[in-house]
This record gives sequence, C-alpha cells and structure tokens, in this order.
Amino acid sequence: MSIIRYAEQYLARQLELANLRTFTRLPDRDFVLDQAKAADQHAKEGDYWAGRVLAIKDNICTKDMKTTAASGILKDFTSPYDATVVKLLRDARCIIAGKTNMDEFGMGSHSTHSHFGPVQSNSEQHPMSAGGSSGGSALAVATNQCWAALGTDTGGSVRLPAAYNGILGFKPSYGLLSRWGVIAYANSLDTVGIFSASLPATQNIFEKLNQYDPQDPTSLPPSTRARLGKYRPKSLRIGVPLDYNISTLHPAIRRAWMQALKHLAEEGHRLCPVSLPATRHALSAYYVLAPAEASSNLAKYDGVRYGSRAEGIDGTPESVLFAKTRGQGFGAEVQRRILLGAFSLSAQAIDNYFIQAQKVRRLVQQDFDKAFRTPNPLLISSREATGLIKEGVDVLVCPTAPTPTPTLASVREQDPITTYTNDVFTVPASLAGLPALSVPVAFDAHDRDQYPELFEGSKTTWAGLQIIGQYGDDELVLHAAKSFPGVDKRSSERRTHGISIRTVEER
Amino acid sequence: MLTPPTRSAINSVSKRPYICPSCLHRAQRLPLASATCPIRLSRRALQTATDPPKDDAPFRKLLKDAAKKQRIQEKVNGSPSKPSSISRDPRAEKWELTVGIEIHAELNTARKLFSSATTSANDTPNTHVALFDVAFPGAQPHFQKETLIPAVRAALALNCEIQTRSSFDRKHYFYQDQPAGYQITQYYEPFARDGYVTLHPHDFPGGVSPENGSITIGIKQVQMEQDTAKTVQQPPHTHLLDFNRVSHPLIEIITLPQIHNPTTAAVLVRKVQAILKTADACTAGMEMGGLRADVNVSVRQRNVKSPEDRHSYHGVTGLGQRTEIKNLASVKAVEDAIIAEWNRQIDILEQGGAIEGETRGWTLGSKTTKRLRGKEGEIDYRYMPDPDIAPVLVGDDLIDHLRRTLLSSSDSIIERLTEGPDFNVTSKDASTLLLLDDGDRLDYYLDVVQKLDKMLKSRSIGKPELYSRAGTVAGNWVLMELGALFKDSGWSKDRVPSDELASILQHLLCKEITGRTAKRLLQMKFDGDPRRIERIIDEHHMLLIPMSSEEYKTMAQQILEEKPDVVKDIIEKGQEKKVKWFVGQMMARGKEGTVEASTAEGVLRELLKL
Repeated sequence: MSIIRYAEQYLARQLELANLRTFTRLPDRDFVLDQAKAADQHAKEGDYWAGRVLAIKDNICTKDMKTTAASGILKDFTSPYDATVVKLLRDARCIIAGKTNMDEFGMGSHSTHSHFGPVQSNSEQHPMSAGGSSGGSALAVATNQCWAALGTDTGGSVRLPAAYNGILGFKPSYGLLSRWGVIAYANSLDTVGIFSASLPATQNIFEKLNQYDPQDPTSLPPSTRARLGKYRPKSLRIGVPLDYNISTLHPAIRRAWMQALKHLAEEGHRLCPVSLPATRHALSAYYVLAPAEASSNLAKYDGVRYGSRAEGIDGTPESVLFAKTRGQGFGAEVQRRILLGAFSLSAQAIDNYFIQAQKVRRLVQQDFDKAFRTPNPLLISSREATGLIKEGVDVLVCPTAPTPTPTLASVREQDPITTYTNDVFTVPASLAGLPALSVPVAFDAHDRDQYPELFEGSKTTWAGLQIIGQYGDDELVLHAAKSFPGVDKRSSERRTHGISIRTVEER
Repeated sequence: MLTPPTRSAINSVSKRPYICPSCLHRAQRLPLASATCPIRLSRRALQTATDPPKDDAPFRKLLKDAAKKQRIQEKVNGSPSKPSSISRDPRAEKWELTVGIEIHAELNTARKLFSSATTSANDTPNTHVALFDVAFPGAQPHFQKETLIPAVRAALALNCEIQTRSSFDRKHYFYQDQPAGYQITQYYEPFARDGYVTLHPHDFPGGVSPENGSITIGIKQVQMEQDTAKTVQQPPHTHLLDFNRVSHPLIEIITLPQIHNPTTAAVLVRKVQAILKTADACTAGMEMGGLRADVNVSVRQRNVKSPEDRHSYHGVTGLGQRTEIKNLASVKAVEDAIIAEWNRQIDILEQGGAIEGETRGWTLGSKTTKRLRGKEGEIDYRYMPDPDIAPVLVGDDLIDHLRRTLLSSSDSIIERLTEGPDFNVTSKDASTLLLLDDGDRLDYYLDVVQKLDKMLKSRSIGKPELYSRAGTVAGNWVLMELGALFKDSGWSKDRVPSDELASILQHLLCKEITGRTAKRLLQMKFDGDPRRIERIIDEHHMLLIPMSSEEYKTMAQQILEEKPDVVKDIIEKGQEKKVKWFVGQMMARGKEGTVEASTAEGVLRELLKL
C-alpha cells in the first residue's frame, strides 16, 4: 500500500472522530499528504520509518504547526524551531500528523483542562475520560488516528492515559529522551513518552529517540549511557510492592493485577513482595514539587515577547504587572498550581513544603534503590558498595491507576484533590526518574457480573499495569513486557470505550 | 614650588566633596594635568533589580550638573558644603554607622552566561539573542563554563575561597526586562566565599584613612548571575527592549556590614573596581554604568546597649534596623546616599522614632533617600534551585592555574612602584598611574622605564644615582608633561612612542640636553614629527656643549668683578657661604644646564684663593 493511502486512512479517521477533540487543531490535509509523498519512495524501498504517521502532544515544539500547550496564552504561538524528538522523527521521514489535545501545560489527569475543550473518549451518551495530561495522544493511537504518538509524562501523564485507553504508554528514564523543545511544566520530572499499540513499535521509537542531545543540559551524556544496564535475565524477579495495595484500589483493578502476576509466575518468573514505605508520601511531595517548578517555569508567559496579551495597559500602580495577561491566558487549574507553587516556594513556607518534599523525593528514590537488584547507575558509590543486591528485583509490577477509566461526568464532580489521587501509582517512578511502561491487561471475566460497565457486550476493556525498572533499565522494562498476556496482540475484539476500532490496514 | 598635579588631585579630594576625583579635580583645577577621565565612559547601565534606572541622562552630564549645583551652593553658603564633614558632627560621635555593600559588576566574557550568544556593548539592539535568552518555550540553559574564568579571577583577587561546588538558583520577579520571570543567580551555593579587601591609607583621599591605618572589610560571598535586558525609554509611554544584554554574566560581591564611614564605603567601591580591572575580570567602563551597588545602612548608639539593636546581618550581631538603598551607579552616589540615609535615620531616632526595614532609592544630586517600598511590599523572590542547571564543580587545578597567572593586585603594584630603587615614585603618583586610562598609562610608564634603563645601561654610565632617578623622572614626565599634552584628547600610547620618550629622558638625565629642550622635543613628537629623537637633536643642534674651564674662568671673573662688596665680605669677613651665591649667579647666567655647580664653585674658590 502506498504511504499516501496509508496516511489518508488516518486523516479520514481524524475527521470522523473530530468531535472527540483529540487534536488541538486538525492537521492540514495537504500538509500531511505532502509529507507522505516525500516519504513514499523511501517506504517502498523498505525504509521502516519513512511515512510512519505520528501525532505529537501540543507541548512539544514544531515549527510548521502551532504549539499551544492547550493554553490560551499560547493559542496562536508557533515555535521557531523543532523539538529534538520531532527533528529525529522528521529526519527519519516520519509524518507528523497533528498536535494532540492535552491538559493545559500538562496539568491534569483527564485532558479536560484545555483551552480547546476537553478530550473525550466516547462520542455517545457516556463520554469517558481519555486520561491526562497526554489524553489526546493516547486517544489518537487507541482510535487509529495515527500509528503512534509522543506525549510527556511529569507525574503519570503518559502512563495514565495509556491505561485508560488500553494501549502501551512508555515513560523512559529521565534524561534519555531530549527535552529540548518540550515546554516545561516541572522540568526535574518532565519526560517525553511514547504511545503505541504494539510493543515492537514502542521499542523501535524508543531506540530512535534514545540519543544524547547536547542542547538538553539534562540529557544523559554518552559516557553515562555506556554504563547503563545491559542485563537481560531470562527469568525475572518481579517485585510486587505491597504498599500499592491500597484500600481505595478498585477491586477489578486488584484482580486484574493478581491475574497478571499469576500469569507471570506461570511464565517462569519469580514474584517477590517488596516494601516501598515512602510511597505514601510520594503523592504529597509530587504535588508540592511539580507546582513549585511550574510556578517558576510558567513565569515566562507575560505576553511581552510571544503569546497572547491582554488588551490595554497591564500593570497599573493599582495592579500587579502582567496580572491581566496571565489572568486571561491561563486556565483555572494552571492558576491553581501556580498559586500553590508560589506559596510552597515563599520564604514562610519553603522549609515546610518545598524542602520537605525534596527530602521525600530522595527517600522515594532510596526505596527504589533498595528494592532493585541493580544499583542506581547515577550513584556510582552505591554501585561500588553494593554491586547486585541478591534479594533485589528486576522490575516492579503494579497498577497504573487505582480505578478503571472514569466517566467524564464523574470526573467533573471530583474536587481537585481527588483528581490528584489518580496519580498515586505513577508519581513515585517520576520522582525517582525511573523507566515505567503501562501495559493493558484484560479485566478478569469474573468481574463481569459485578462491574458490567467494564465489559461492553462480548468485548473487553482494559486495565493498565505498570512495569517499573531501575534507572537506565529501560530495555529490561520493555523486555519484561513481553511476558504480559495480550500485549503483543492487537486484538480485533478490542474497543476503546464504545468506539469500535476500525482496523487500519497495517503496513 | 609647583605641586605635581597628581598629588594635588588626590589631595584636593579631602578638601572637597567626592566627585570622581580624577575627572573633576584634575580637569578644573589643574590645567597641566590631563582632563581625560581615568575610566572610560560607557553607555551600558547595569540593571540588577526590578527598578529601571530612573536617570537616563548620561552620567557625565549628571556629574557636571552635580558639580554646578555644588558651586552654586558654595556661593550661597559662602563656604564649600562638605557632606563628608558629617564625621565631625557631634551626632556622629553618638551614633555609629554600619554599612554593607553589594556590588554588581559585568564579567569580561565572550559569551552569555547560559547561551552561546556573544556579549556586546553597543551593537544593534536584539542582534545577540539566543532562544533561551528570551525564554522561548522549550529552550534550555547551556552554562558557558568559560565565564567561570574571569569570575574566579575576580574572587581570587578579592581573597575569596573558591568553592569546589556551586549551583544556580532562580530568583523570581516580574519585569519586562526579565524574560524568564526569574533571574538565575547563586543564592544557596555561591562560587566564592569569605574574602576580604584591605583599604590602605594610600587608597584614601589625602592618603589618610578615617581609622588612621589600614581597614579590612570582609567579603561574605561572590556569586555569578545574569544581567537583564536594557529598557530604552521612548517617552511618553513606550519602552523598547534590547535583549542583547540579557544573560550577560555578572558577579555580585557582598561585603560584610563592617563599614562605618561613608568615605570608606566609597573608597571600597573604588578599590573593588580597581581590583577587578587589574584581575582582568570585568568589562571596561565600570565606573560609568558597568557597576551598580546596593548599600545596607543602619545606625546604633555608641557605647549603649539598646534593645533596638537586636539585628544580625551576615552573622554580625547587635546592629540597628537596616534599610537598603538600591541601584547606586557611581562611587559618589554610594557615598552621598549613605550620608543622606545616615542623617535621616539619626533624625528619626533622635525624635524617638523607629527605623523601618525598607527599600529606598537615591538619585544623584539629591539630599535625601526616597522610600521605594516597605517590608510588606518587599518582593519574596522564592529562590528555587534551577533543575536544568547541574552544579558547577571547579577543580583545584583550575584554581591553582588562575591563582598563578593572576596579574598583580593594585596593592602589590603600588608597593613595587613606591618601594625599592626600581621606580621610586610617590604612592600618590603610583595610584594615579594605576587609575588612569584603564591601566594603559601604567603600562606605558613601565615601558618607558624599562627602555630608559636599558639605554642608560648600554651607555655603561656607572652612576647608580642616575638609575634610581630614572623611575621618578619618568613618572613626572608620563603624568605631568605628557599628561598636559593629552589635556584635550583621549590618551594614546602611540602618539609619543615609549622608546622616544625614553630617548628624550636619557639625554636629559645625561645632561646632554636642557629641560626646555626636552619639553620641546616632546611637543614635536606629540605633534607628529616622524624623525627619531637623535636626528631632531642633531638637525636642530640641540645638544648641549659643556663649557670649557676657560669659559668657566671668564664667567666667574666677570661676576666677581661686578660685586666687589660681596667679594670683600668673603675675603675680609670670612663669609665663605657667600660663595654659593656666586655659584647661583653663574648657573643662572649660563645657558640652561651648562653650568655645573661643583665645577663653578671650584673655579670661584680658585679665583678667590680660598
């Protein structure tokens, strides 16, 4: 099949599902087809990458499409440059087919806080949450509006929507994928992540983008990359973090987790209970640190050099400078987090909030270091001191989210704090910068009677489980995913919350 | 006797208000001296805080206006007003002043602190700007490690301990000249700590320090930080922004509150400036805009323990409530603002009031400081470590290398110039040489002395006193004679090349030409005569021909005959001292420099048969 036809399929799908608001703006048809034409010959010659259709989260800079971060303050902003990850894909002749909708600046868990309207994963009576903040990217992949997509994960923003949409969402180790051109939310946590429906695709995209970038000061230098684990045991020691079995964990999720663990044990892996006591403080620490960094990172949006600016004079003797522009340009959730962050950095609060949270962050990292078999390669001394920990595990397996995909109606009723608790399982890996992959697993058939909403007719929906590895053990995490049931099959039975997957003819 | 201009230039400082001594005093009172400003003017104005510079008038004009105001004031009062005379105020006996200073100076680097954009001074606006400099979404900082070199040099010259590890923090506040909404600075872990500056008596106007000896002021820390954009006012409502200056590397030098006199504060700022210049750490033209200072001022009663004096700043305890005066752009501003604030605080305290912790402003020429914002309006900068910038680790090898290659400090230069036989100039002349023309004058002087020395030695004149005079004489000529010629134009070392001046001085010292001839030669070279000195002397028959003993005798005879009464006094009354009078007469009558006193006296005595 020609690349042009292949691209047209996705374009048609994008038009058909336009009411889901998957994209901040639908891509220009000719723009996409021109890229397809340019790639066509190379694809015919067997180039794996030529003509692959990818969607990019709208907080990753592209010079030929607007980059809005779903914010009013950047609603007409076009970046003068491509982000490194985008450039790498373009250089490989991939087709960039649209910028996906999201929570403004990545702040949210359901992709509802967007200047362009909420993403929803059902066009019918009961719209479901697409997860957030990279909900648009996840939904685009799940509903075949593109082959794969890039998102960003600060506290779970790739893994959570992947879980809610029944696809793979991979957050690599912090520092492996370049952040040059990625609009910062909380830059000590922000990580570019990968959505796709198949494990080999995830693996390939990761390999393509996993390159040192001198433009990103936090990009891991080649010397350190060379030290990262190449360890690939046949039989894995799989850690089961007991602290993640919280009382608010949905029973169907718990059962899906147990089923998967059972399957892994049957595959010949060894299950090991693991204690991660700092986890209970991780969420609080995250919601201090991320808003603190956000309040700082978003200070640049003042409408002076780019972006939207409020009409008239901004900053009279009676008002605060830029208050008008920022008040109009930022949505409610962004304003809430900026205020929260400004407070936790203030002279009166920094010791009790920001500093404490940093200490918790360190404890969370130490918890993980104690649990894993391989030492943290960033802490050379611990490697020398400990070597392999005999009782340590290779990867951890736990739920991605405490509940199945919620309806948008229930999300609207939630107060912000309840919404924040969605991130309870994803935040620890973010704080420690660890690689984590959310994989879809089927709910247990026994739950059909009790939770019929999880089963639509004869077809299954999916729960998300997370595989977390030691820092730099990204390959091991992807390797471990092979043992999960159903990961490698793109079942024709699959459906995403009421939207049947019309099979796109694969290349 | 004529006072060398440089001496009175510095002397006069003590008698008059402190207005950039080398500029005003040399120009106004000393026609012989160079009117060139010792430190070059620059249009760059450093912005270190949220408040934009209120005065956009060129600094030179401000100085002029201030001086004019001063003169009018003097006429009205009938006597010069002396701000520094406050120290004789009985109130000053009662109330002790304490001052700490923060000095911001622009580092001499090729690139900006966090991008590879080049630094620039007066280039077309917005032509040296990287994505990160203007805070484009997704752009990240790239620390330019080369900027460490001048920073470390500066800190070493300020006797600081260079920290192995330092890190960068964000200081948040909104202003249009601050693209990111924060300034990147070093708040938690500065790169240098615990230094000091010693102020010697010769650093002070008149060579006398207020504490009758050297004063050492501690430096708490030195940190690196970014400069902001330049705001160009377009009245009435337009502010244009030039981002060329954004992220230009600065250092901030924070002293301990150990200064107790406004003059000491001014001298400290001037000295720090000289130290940074000598260490080649900062851009030229600091005095006129490349430097900004914030001062913290508090007072407390001497010998009284007051519960009000409970404040502690940088570990110095028992101090009064302080106020901060921001954005002082010159040495004079520092001194005058401190005096004004000192007076204001004493007035309040004497009336039973209390000082409020607040930020105040001061404009050049004004008598009082002005409240900018109170404590409740104080900005909470919300310092946060920058997650994108890794800590900076400085190796001992780098520190050692920079320490080894650090140019001599101004103190050691002055010591070298004044002590020992090599140069033998006065400390006043030494510090003037150091201060003039960004140190170019000193380089020129050293050049002249070296060449002169070589010339004298090659002639193997076995007169050590000649060598020791060489340095002194060269000093006078470089400062006075040449300085006078440069009165109306900027200094240039090429106008009279150093070897030509050395050649003139060589002939002068060897008594082959007269002083008048030497001056004429200097003027000819200054005016562009392309001929070598030897050739001019030759072609114009300037060489002095010594008198023969016959000529001596004839001249002596003639003078003795003219004054028979004096001869009588000498011979009959034995007043031998009057021979000296005849010697003087001979020297005055002979062609300049031809009569040597000792020869003349010998001839006279011979004739008088003494």
